[in-house]
Amino acid sequence: MKIVIDPTRCQGHGTCAALLAEYIEMDKWHFPILNRNQLSESHLEAAKKAVQLCPELAIKIIED
Amino acid sequence: MTDSTSTSIMAPSGARRLTLGWEASWKTSNPEIAFAGDSQGRMRLSLSEHISNYGRIPTGFTYSLVSDSLRVANLTGRGGAKFPFYKKLAAVYEADRKKGCYVVANGAESEPLSIKDSLLLKTNPHLVIDGLVMVAEVLGAKGVYIYVKDKEAHSAVNSALRERRERGFTEAKVSVIDAPATYVAGQETSVIRRIEKGPAVPKFSIDRVAVSGVKGQPTLLSNVETFAHLGLILRFGADWYRSGRSGFDSGSRLVSVSGAVDRPGLYEVSSGVAIGDILREAKAHSVRALLVGGYFGGWLNVRDENDLRVAYDDFTLGDKKLSIGAGILGVLSKETCPVVEAASIVDYLAEQSAGQCGPCINGLPEISTAFARIALSSNIDRGISELKAVIPLVERRGGCQHPDGVIAHVRSTVAAFGDEIKLHKAGKCSVASSNHHSMLLPKKAQGNLAAASGR
Ligand code: SF4
Ligand code: SF4
Repeated sequence: MKIVIDPTRCQGHGTCAALLAEYIEMDKWHFPILNRNQLSESHLEAAKKAVQLCPELAIKIIED
Repeated sequence: MTDSTSTSIMAPSGARRLTLGWEASWKTSNPEIAFAGDSQGRMRLSLSEHISNYGRIPTGFTYSLVSDSLRVANLTGRGGAKFPFYKKLAAVYEADRKKGCYVVANGAESEPLSIKDSLLLKTNPHLVIDGLVMVAEVLGAKGVYIYVKDKEAHSAVNSALRERRERGFTEAKVSVIDAPATYVAGQETSVIRRIEKGPAVPKFSIDRVAVSGVKGQPTLLSNVETFAHLGLILRFGADWYRSGRSGFDSGSRLVSVSGAVDRPGLYEVSSGVAIGDILREAKAHSVRALLVGGYFGGWLNVRDENDLRVAYDDFTLGDKKLSIGAGILGVLSKETCPVVEAASIVDYLAEQSAGQCGPCINGLPEISTAFARIALSSNIDRGISELKAVIPLVERRGGCQHPDGVIAHVRSTVAAFGDEIKLHKAGKCSVASSNHHSMLLPKKAQGNLAAASGR
């Protein structure tokens, strides 16, 4: 599974980075940088939460 | 779909394939290069003229026949991506088409230096429509669209479609959609959104358009010129298209030539002619540099005649990290500093961001500012270190290819004009005049680079 962020939707609120610090850091303009996108099983719950809590519905988890 | 005017038709030869019949006098001294006019209005070829030039419109194609012809012909998309067209067709054909599929000819031509797509549609719309409806029939497409840049192209296509209906052609219905005059309007996903009646700005998608395009269904989208070549290949065959040449795409192509030339305009050239030969016909003078492919293309540093002996094909250009791209040759004379010109273009492109994605909105102005510091020699070291810091924050982080295209332009400038940048570092410039009037930017976009460098 992979995490993808739609940059055209993302407004940089940063909720995702707080939930998925192992994957996402915020850049100097406060937009998320996806450092790795292969999602491990142990982070699936956190990732699902990020999907739910992103105010712009910009995050998706996709099968690969 | 039949027509009674069947005379024996000769397959076109040399450099006049798409432009056959536009105007008899448009030959040049080189049989491999034809002048095809400038951006001024030209007469549209009527359906009868079209048929007497190229012969009747063939029918009854199967997928495998079209696919085999395209593979043997080695036709690549003419919008700049160099992708073999038969592979694109296969991706759509093999995708899940149960809910229908779509075929789109992209004539948005958002590269300001390009005139080919609009001129092709204005003068020879039937050839584009032929290729489009043939492939739409093979795929059983649910919708067929031509996306056009201006009113003239729109009305030429509409008139052509009316002629076909009046002749009783039973073929796929084609709709004409207008593209707004913005740089991002020609991006694949912008075209899709516009057809879906949305704004012509890019949309983020994990899937390729071939799998998920218009209304989420498989979509064959290519440049209008690609479909015109298809109209010829399906008439005269793949072997004719290759004309004994091997290698990459061996057909003719349309090239928009602009800048420091006395005869700017559109040229149709045979594959592999030397760039210098094209420039000779366009009457270029004191060439300092060449922008190859368009704003998303790259630069050729011209030190002497030898630099122009490059064959105009993607094989040869690829060695120099250049590509035919959208078929643009922009000529800079020795009166213009190429680095300043490049920085002006980058500044224009930064303003053309669709304003949707953080890294693009914030990053492109920073790239433009840093680059302007180098071009205007205001603070070169600072410019270079800023570029090094900001590019990784922008690259591959946009919702479309726009920011990556801008970065490619910056990289190509730095790679091509190391000599010039060194001069700037020493407080000099190869161009004496400090009056930097851009040669390759649209008039309305003549920006203020000095302001950018001071931001
Ligand atoms: S939570 Fe959503 S909007 Fe906020 S930074 Fe993450 S992806 Fe962007
Ligand atoms: S990367 Fe830039 S141009 Fe592309 S969609 Fe995002 S904001 Fe628009």
